[in-house]
Amino acid sequence: MRTDAPAKVRGRVEYGMDLEAPGMLWGALVPAPVAHGRIVAIDASVARGMAGVRAVVTGADLDRLLPKGGGDPERRLLPTEEVTYRHQPVAVIAADSRAVARAAAAAVRVATEALPSVDDIEEVFPDWPGAEGPGSPQVVAHVHALHGDLDAAFASAELVVSQTFRTSGVAQVALEPHACLASVEDGSYRIRTSTQAPFAVRSDTAEILGLAESRVVVEGSWVGGGFGGKASSLVEPYALVLAIASGRPVKLALTYREEFLLGRSTLPAVVRIDSSLLKGTITGRRVRLLLDAGAMLPGRDFATGYAIGFLAGPYRIEAVELEGYAVRTHKPPFGAHRAPFAAQCAFVAESHMDAIARRAGIDPFDLRLAHAWREGDTTPLGQRVGPFGLREALERAHRQREAWRADGHGSGGIGVACGFWSTGTGAGGEAIVEFARDGLHIIEGEREIGSGSVIRGLVAVVERVTGLPPAAVRVDYRDTRSAPFDSGVFGSRTVGALGQAVEKAVRKGMGTLAARAKVPEVRLAFDGGELWVVTRGHKRSLTSLLTPAERALGHLAIGGRHYGRSGTLEESRVREGEFYAYTDFTASVVLAQAAVDRETGAVRPERVAEFLDVGVALDPEMVRTQMEGGIAMGLGTALTEETLWTSAGRLANPGLLDYRIPTLGDIPPIETVIVEGFPGAGPFGAKGVGEPPIIPVPAAIANAVLDATGAQVTELPLTPERVARALKLL
Amino acid sequence: MAFSLAVPRSPAEAVRLLADAPPGGAEALAGGTDLLLDIDAGRVAPSRLISLGRLPWRTLRRSGGDLVIGATLPLRDLERDPRLPRDLPGLYRAVRAVGSVALRHRATMGGNIARSSPSSDLLPILLALEARVRLVGPSGPRELPLPELLKGPRETTRVPGELIAAIVVPARRPSAYLWQRVRPSNDISQVGVAVARRERPPYWRVALGGVWPVPARLSSVEAILDSPDPGDIAVELAAQEAARCAPFVTDKRATEAYRRRLVATLLRRALREVTVP
Repeated sequence: MRTDAPAKVRGRVEYGMDLEAPGMLWGALVPAPVAHGRIVAIDASVARGMAGVRAVVTGADLDRLLPKGGGDPERRLLPTEEVTYRHQPVAVIAADSRAVARAAAAAVRVATEALPSVDDIEEVFPDWPGAEGPGSPQVVAHVHALHGDLDAAFASAELVVSQTFRTSGVAQVALEPHACLASVEDGSYRIRTSTQAPFAVRSDTAEILGLAESRVVVEGSWVGGGFGGKASSLVEPYALVLAIASGRPVKLALTYREEFLLGRSTLPAVVRIDSSLLKGTITGRRVRLLLDAGAMLPGRDFATGYAIGFLAGPYRIEAVELEGYAVRTHKPPFGAHRAPFAAQCAFVAESHMDAIARRAGIDPFDLRLAHAWREGDTTPLGQRVGPFGLREALERAHRQREAWRADGHGSGGIGVACGFWSTGTGAGGEAIVEFARDGLHIIEGEREIGSGSVIRGLVAVVERVTGLPPAAVRVDYRDTRSAPFDSGVFGSRTVGALGQAVEKAVRKGMGTLAARAKVPEVRLAFDGGELWVVTRGHKRSLTSLLTPAERALGHLAIGGRHYGRSGTLEESRVREGEFYAYTDFTASVVLAQAAVDRETGAVRPERVAEFLDVGVALDPEMVRTQMEGGIAMGLGTALTEETLWTSAGRLANPGLLDYRIPTLGDIPPIETVIVEGFPGAGPFGAKGVGEPPIIPVPAAIANAVLDATGAQVTELPLTPERVARALKLL
Repeated sequence: MAFSLAVPRSPAEAVRLLADAPPGGAEALAGGTDLLLDIDAGRVAPSRLISLGRLPWRTLRRSGGDLVIGATLPLRDLERDPRLPRDLPGLYRAVRAVGSVALRHRATMGGNIARSSPSSDLLPILLALEARVRLVGPSGPRELPLPELLKGPRETTRVPGELIAAIVVPARRPSAYLWQRVRPSNDISQVGVAVARRERPPYWRVALGGVWPVPARLSSVEAILDSPDPGDIAVELAAQEAARCAPFVTDKRATEAYRRRLVATLLRRALREVTVP
């Protein structure tokens, strides 16, 4: 059992929502009333006069409150001239209670002169693809890469398959909304917050407010789910400005409605994909992407150059062209969501693979196996693929399909889809491991966020290195002033990257003990609740190998560092913009069986199996829980979840009633198959497992619908009405 | 969102508390599964809630040929009645369509009717079962056919201080309720179709939910179904007529075109479910 489970089940851990401090005020945000407009006046006089209101801060007040009047002018916390998405905070309020703060926020009059809003990416480029150009002021990123002779491939093709797909925005839906507590203490700015990345919150907050980074101290609380939504700052700078203005600790927690209205998540996209086929081989592929970047700032787009590589699929194709535009609209900025946009890319690429297979009369498995990357193949951007378990996973999925067809337990169609991901081992981190009498302590800035990657993953690395039992290893959390730096719990990198730092620290510590004991190597043992050092078969106390200072401190502290590199691209293939190299290649294959109601279009998943290339499973039970969670979340993306953006930047479903995540009643039986033998860069060959499981799920469901009905749905999610349209019922 | 809570012990006391309150000042609280959301969102701001939890209405009785459902009986208790699935299969299915198990432990039929949601899963089957509603109020008790109580979305014809005490339906009647949703397990229905078959003519009662501001019966469809065992042609004609009862609403949950499709399909299936053993 996980060591955090008992306290969590008993309600004894402190989440961001639970944070309190003596004399604490509550913060509230004043939202912009339009999606795009010029600010004419912000009248907060009524709010300022309300009983219990302690601070009201507008953009005009920042100059007075902050050194240098704030930091990065592009990322100004509160706008003074223009608002760029509906509900964008234009003022913040601190009051004695949450109710008073909210009432005061509602009493602020925000006068704006509405400007035309860009609601939809397709209205920016009505004749897309073909007629666009990087000249549009709405384009925040344009990437273009080309490899091989695409014209020749299409000219000599026996078959060309051209399709257009659309995907919807999805939200992270962590159980706990964003919540933090900020205060000013002894000249330091203290933030306690529910975050995936305390150091990112520190640098973000310092940059946005123009504060010295060394004076901003961030301590992570326990986290009620992140899924990418808590990988950078959101509420923290607002809370800190209120703490500065009021001189009191300020708690700021979003309501669930605000989570949807202000949260940064995946936004809609349109993809045009064309492939040429000759004698059963895909000879060319052209991918063109229009991605809604929301109110993202130019130069900050990451998704386009990163995600577009997923659209070509994990396949050997001679000639490939990739071109993508990130288009600015008046919605909140695009943000990370478990494997950001990769599940949507796989939906496009893998639906397209099944369309090709069908048109060419090839079994979907045969088509994929004939093209699947092996170790040593190169990506369209010229990156070399490392050990990669895709073929093994596909072969096992193929055997499973035959078994499902034979057992008759399902009545629906069966679909397969592949996905790949890149464990973020390029993002660096450091660890301190304390060798103490009561065991090993991993000193960390990041709390466990729920996935198990910290509290089980890092501990499992130590177990593997030392052979110690779980009871001998503990994770201790510190704030950013005393914890070693780490990038954060995101990008499936915790075990793969930070785990390497932990591994190095433990090995170095054991080396230090061996040197002190004047033996070539030591073993560690745990007996009677105490850590022992075994040298040449003799058990001796740890204390006997510590210096007097270490004895007084209680431990020997050893640091480990991991600063990895991303892979390298072949720059000659890049025509325009910035592409991002992948690091570790992780494969996942999903097999799904789904029944389709041919009169209503309703899709009922009957069973899902996933085959995941994990390198090595350091804790198989934890790997399986990530697979199950990823599948459940992927079923939401596949079938029910979408943010409904209507006109003028309005969101029609800012709540859990009409933004529908799957409940237990919607999740069919799940089989999880761990594929090992294709080692990654992580400790003992581990690859990240947080994100890859979700990636192929929407595509596998769509392909099961195609198998069941012969109709292909080209838009996510596959709601009953969309399926009904594909079935030509409407 | 501050309010005081009163817990009357008798229907008369509850009626008096409600009738004496200034208009909009007090709301009756049954399960609270809908009202508390409205209060939380600031859509209503009553200064006082009158709890119906201690009134003697958490009851289920069979009397003569009737089933009398107490207004504050939790839906979960109704769903667990052992005779319900066989005696009133349509009502059983409709009750199980409401929210989640946890929600049904609190939600009540009286509350569902009083809140009168356009997408209620209970109203269509109650209409098809020709439910009558027993009310108590400042001028005494009265009994109304359900359609006379329903006025609009979240609106009924109750007078100030009047409360729903019980719902009366036939104790047994072949019936069916079918729904369609984006998320099957727990969602607002895009369309709900209820049918019930009487022993004597007119044989059929058909009602729709989720397509209009107020769920309602389809008398033109009922007229087509003039036999207790309509053949394929009559069923098809009924389904086509039902789809012609448009206009239906278009909203974020479904377009009108899709709702028409669902109405016809679900009605066809519901009729078959009742007629084919």
